[in-house]
Amino acid sequence: MKKNLAIILAGPLVLICLGTAALSQSQDQGKEELKLQLPKPMFIGTPRNIKTTNLEVITGKPRGPFFVPKGTALVSLKKAVISSDMQPVIGELSFVTDAEKSGEDGYFVELGPGKQWVQIDLKAEFDLNAILVWHYHSQARVFRDVVVQVSDDKDFIKGVTTVFNNDHDNTSGLGIGKDKEYIETNEGRLIDPKGAKARYVRLYSNGNTSNDMNHYVEVEVYGAPAK
Amino acid sequence: MNKAAFRGLFFIIVVGALLFRLLGLDLRPMHHDEANQAVKFGRLLEKGEYRYDPSDHHGPSLYYLTLPLAWAFSKTTLASLDEVILRLLPALFGAGVLLLLLLFVKGMGRTAVFFAGLFAALSPAMVYYSRFYIQEMLFVFFVIGFLGSLWRYLLYPWTAWALSAGLCAGMMYATKETSVIVFAAAGLALILTMVFQKIKPQTPYHFIAPGFANFFLGLIVAFLAAAAFFTSFLKNRQGIWDSLAAFKTYFEKSGADGFHIQPWPYYFKLLAFSKSGGGPLWSEALILALALVGIVSAFALRRQKWAVPSPARFIFLYTLFSAAVFSIIPYKTPWNLLPFYAGFIILAGIGAAFLLDLFAKIPVKALVLLVLAGGIYHLGLESYRANFVFYADPANPYVYAQTGTDFLKLVKRVTDVAAIHPDDKKMLIKVICGPYETWPLPWYLRGFERVGYWQDAGEAGTLFDAPVIISDQDQAAKLRPLLEDKFQSEYYGLRPGVFLVLHIREDLWQEYLKRSLHGSIFYGDVILKRCRNRP
Repeated sequence: MKKNLAIILAGPLVLICLGTAALSQSQDQGKEELKLQLPKPMFIGTPRNIKTTNLEVITGKPRGPFFVPKGTALVSLKKAVISSDMQPVIGELSFVTDAEKSGEDGYFVELGPGKQWVQIDLKAEFDLNAILVWHYHSQARVFRDVVVQVSDDKDFIKGVTTVFNNDHDNTSGLGIGKDKEYIETNEGRLIDPKGAKARYVRLYSNGNTSNDMNHYVEVEVYGAPAK
Repeated sequence: MNKAAFRGLFFIIVVGALLFRLLGLDLRPMHHDEANQAVKFGRLLEKGEYRYDPSDHHGPSLYYLTLPLAWAFSKTTLASLDEVILRLLPALFGAGVLLLLLLFVKGMGRTAVFFAGLFAALSPAMVYYSRFYIQEMLFVFFVIGFLGSLWRYLLYPWTAWALSAGLCAGMMYATKETSVIVFAAAGLALILTMVFQKIKPQTPYHFIAPGFANFFLGLIVAFLAAAAFFTSFLKNRQGIWDSLAAFKTYFEKSGADGFHIQPWPYYFKLLAFSKSGGGPLWSEALILALALVGIVSAFALRRQKWAVPSPARFIFLYTLFSAAVFSIIPYKTPWNLLPFYAGFIILAGIGAAFLLDLFAKIPVKALVLLVLAGGIYHLGLESYRANFVFYADPANPYVYAQTGTDFLKLVKRVTDVAAIHPDDKKMLIKVICGPYETWPLPWYLRGFERVGYWQDAGEAGTLFDAPVIISDQDQAAKLRPLLEDKFQSEYYGLRPGVFLVLHIREDLWQEYLKRSLHGSIFYGDVILKRCRNRP
């Protein structure tokens, strides 16, 4: 009796399920791909040829004031610079800390293609409060995979703190960065190391939007004697 | 130079010219203008659709003459085309210019034609724009064909030369609107050459003015050739009227304030001395200097050693008038120098032969040859640098509003993320850019089936349905609050100082990161191989 009751109850249930499935299939069969009419590109003549230097601020607004602890000073001036490319294509590594920030030819050092770094030895440990970087600003460019690290280890093996990283796809293998890419301007890029203690500052880049080379006009590191 | 030596040497020059023009045709990223022309050609190839646009993009010959090439490679769609097939056409016409120089052998002499051929084969400007899918090199080919046919007609007033001149004139008109400048310059040069020949004959030869019948026949052939192309082979009868209406547009454009306004010496500065961006010095001064010698020879007291006069006067007058008009017109782009620069090249050939002829003593002749060889080597080296090293570098004077190699990295990224998207080539891509920032995207995205183009973010509808959005900088600023950090954004250089921003939806980006960090190989790697920078 119980067996018959189960069949009586299960039968309609199975029928309902099969019916729903069939209905749903018929609805799928009744569907068709929505053909989107996407707008076509507009044909237009030769664009402007830009060859002139561009020293204007592209971001629109000048950078606001940046506050640092009292006693903070420029600690990188004329300090020794080494690099992954010790024979630059153009210029000299000393340009990085020579206080010359002009965007013209003769003021920047050009390192070889691909991932390269420069490293500044501050000669002592400092509480770092600001790092200002000018890669190249005579033309609007975006430098790829900019990573800035500080450490007390000259080989950057231990005690490394990353204070800036916009390598969002980890091309350089230093970890995925969350900082944004930016267009170079004469204002330079201000990085906040948030008081990290270090003697060495290392800056990585991996080519730019105009070519695969790496450039530095100037790097300024501001700090106070380590407490 | 005897006939056999000339044949052998000229053959070597033509082969060299072909090599310079054909190797690595896909090295340089497609220029904005090339991409425009390529997509227009794609429509003709796929649907048989072409309608002359009197407001821009020049004449129809480029598209119709590309058709046989595409068919020869069994290409029937835009997506199946590539840069090599398209650029093959101007490359062949660029090398063809050398063969047309043979029309001037009578009167000019074999040595002069040999040098003119050598200069045409190696000139960085001539080689660079022979590798450029725009109308210019076709135009130069027809200009030289027209001048050569006129010259031959002047020497031997046969109907065949009148017909040949007419055909070239028609093709010039069907190629570029600036053909009217060449017509006027060549016509005036022809009349003055006949006048000079009367006043101060180089030889006792008497030119015969073109007879009415031959002139009329040439005109008919010119009209038929131009009409065939402008009417899209009788599919668009309005085309022939539009070709006339275009002159109003181009006349207005030539003097209007705009991107391409330059002072009159622009072309000569470009050719004589260019240096920028820390790059090397560029100069085709050798050709200009030898052309001056050629001009002197045209009016020198010495009599021609041939029975027929030299074309030097005719070419000089043509070059003078056309260079003057092109220089006076405020609108200038570097490729516009070619129709008159071709005249300089012929004159330089005459100048080189004149110099060698001038000095009878063997040591002096050898010294002249040595100097010429040094100059020619330098020209070849510059041409190599312009076309194989600095092909997209603004330090190259012929690089103008050129797409940078960084742009190819954007194409690679789009191709890579599409490869892991379930829709692959059907993935929806929204391009939100101003018209000048849109190109050459339509060429590089030709393999994707769902690409939409808008000029304003507000018009592009829902943004989150597109896994990939490409915008210019202005639109990126508008998109930023709309995308709400749900897209990963990356900058790519389009041209110097001009950026595109690629926005990849976060879900796709994370998947891409996951796979790329595990070393998957993407289709785009093929494209990146072409992306080479200067050393």
